[in-house]
Amino acid sequence: MLEAYKISYAHRKSLILQNIDVSVNYGELLVIVGPNGAGKSTLLSMLANEMGKNEEPIFFKKKTFEEWDEKELAHSKAKFSQNNNHDIPLSVKDVVLMGRYPYFNARPHKNDLEAVVKAMEETDVATLKDRDYTTLSGGEKQRVHLARVLAQLDNDIAHKLVFLDEPLNNLDVLHQHRILHTVKNFTEKGNTAVMVLHDLNLAAQFADRIMLLKKGKIVAHDVPDKVFTKEIISKVYNFPCTICPNPVNKNPLIIFGI
Amino acid sequence: MISGMLLLAVLAVVSLYMGVYVFEKHSLAEVISSLITNDESLSESDRFVMMGLRLPRIVMAILIGSALAVSGTCLQGMFKNPLATPDLIGITSGASLFAALAIVLGSSLKAYIPEIFHFSFLSIMAFAGALLTMMLVYRISTSGGKTNVVVMLLSGVAITALGFAITGFLIYISKEEQLRDLTFWNLGSLGGATWTKNVILATIVLVSYLFLINKGKALNAMMLGERDAQHLGIPVEKIKKQIVVLTALMVGTSVAFAGTIGFVGLIVPYILRMVFRSNYHIILPMSAVFGGVLLLSADTISRTVAAPSEIPIGILTAFMGAPIFIAILVKTRNTM
Repeated sequence: MLEAYKISYAHRKSLILQNIDVSVNYGELLVIVGPNGAGKSTLLSMLANEMGKNEEPIFFKKKTFEEWDEKELAHSKAKFSQNNNHDIPLSVKDVVLMGRYPYFNARPHKNDLEAVVKAMEETDVATLKDRDYTTLSGGEKQRVHLARVLAQLDNDIAHKLVFLDEPLNNLDVLHQHRILHTVKNFTEKGNTAVMVLHDLNLAAQFADRIMLLKKGKIVAHDVPDKVFTKEIISKVYNFPCTICPNPVNKNPLIIFGI
Repeated sequence: MISGMLLLAVLAVVSLYMGVYVFEKHSLAEVISSLITNDESLSESDRFVMMGLRLPRIVMAILIGSALAVSGTCLQGMFKNPLATPDLIGITSGASLFAALAIVLGSSLKAYIPEIFHFSFLSIMAFAGALLTMMLVYRISTSGGKTNVVVMLLSGVAITALGFAITGFLIYISKEEQLRDLTFWNLGSLGGATWTKNVILATIVLVSYLFLINKGKALNAMMLGERDAQHLGIPVEKIKKQIVVLTALMVGTSVAFAGTIGFVGLIVPYILRMVFRSNYHIILPMSAVFGGVLLLSADTISRTVAAPSEIPIGILTAFMGAPIFIAILVKTRNTM
């Protein structure tokens, strides 16, 4: 579904990413983890076609991004970014409605408005729909943008792709899990998600595959059980840790500091 | 929207009747009806004042007001800031500077330019001035899709200062007749309205609106950030280029025909934002209508309040605009 080879990126002579190969399958939830400055967000930007051209083309559903029609691409691919603008003087529902912009010209259709309502319920912001976006808290703003991204991909196209850059920042435990369940639901329908996360335990619980980055290079890229081992994690994060099976769901459970 | 258009129509009719000249037929309805029915009883001078003086002026007020307000709204969307208006960031100054150059140096330059351009020389120069300034300001103040508002406003100040200096120098060296033209630019007036100018202006405004007026969604999405707008399928770079060229065209032509009329691009979006928040999807088409309303009212006041003389219209718009400028500064001082 998404294939990229030899992704490299340098900013002012410092290499941020070096020769990274990524391929993500249909229905896969890939989580990118790694310490600060590993290049996780940059990799996500490169994959989402934000940074201009890589030397080797990136293929999405066997077509390069240049070959896609801009509007059609917006029906199949969306991205949730980390640094959202905090000063958008619009009501919450108008911000979520932006996710439907690729679908209508002058006036939103009925199904656009329905998609907006559905997405707002999904991320639990429906009660805020008439509030001014600028008056919301950080976590609430975050959920508004998640709703916008969900609304954007609410259509009948098979095999959609979503990029999420640290979608759980500022969220409480309940909403963290709700969002991850929503993403998991999305991928179980044959869609694909590539997500940057900091919380290794949540990554272990939800991801199909994990990509562990350090200093712009892949350290490990495999199923959670193979990536989350004591040796790899304590070495990459430079911090002691213990890993045992989670007593409830048998996923690896990472405990730092011991 | 519809009520705005109705208001504009009513204003236009009222404005047609108001002024220094007193019609022989004394009621508004009488004059209008005899105009429509081509009544013989309407005197030559009545007809001339109506059709040759006032109507073109009214049409020009509506067109220029509308063009300036839409330019302001588009620029604010592109720079993502309510203070980005043609006059505050120096585009009007750039246009009038080039217009001034055209007036003073025009006679000697005319020999070198093709015949067909003679008539529109002034407009083309003003357009070039507006376009150059806009590109300069955008280059200086924006990097990576983010605008530094302080730099944007200060580059406007710098360009305005340069404009003043050069215009001052031009005034110093210019001849009597050129001097009168130059003063006209600096104060702004709709007094020079003719049907020819209106046709040119209307064409430019219509062509620009064809591209710009439906960009409300795109401008909304650009508030998310340019990358995120791109993920929504919006061709950000293309739209920015269209805005740069078309607003330069509209501002340039307005300046060429009516001089510098300030603050219209600030006042209209500001008032609309108070009602509709920053939803460009609504305020962009609305500013096209209410820009016309604002400038037409201002021009009618400027003709009538101190009759028989006229107050330069720039003074009136500045009176309304400056307090709004300060209000926006106070409101956004924490985020600058």
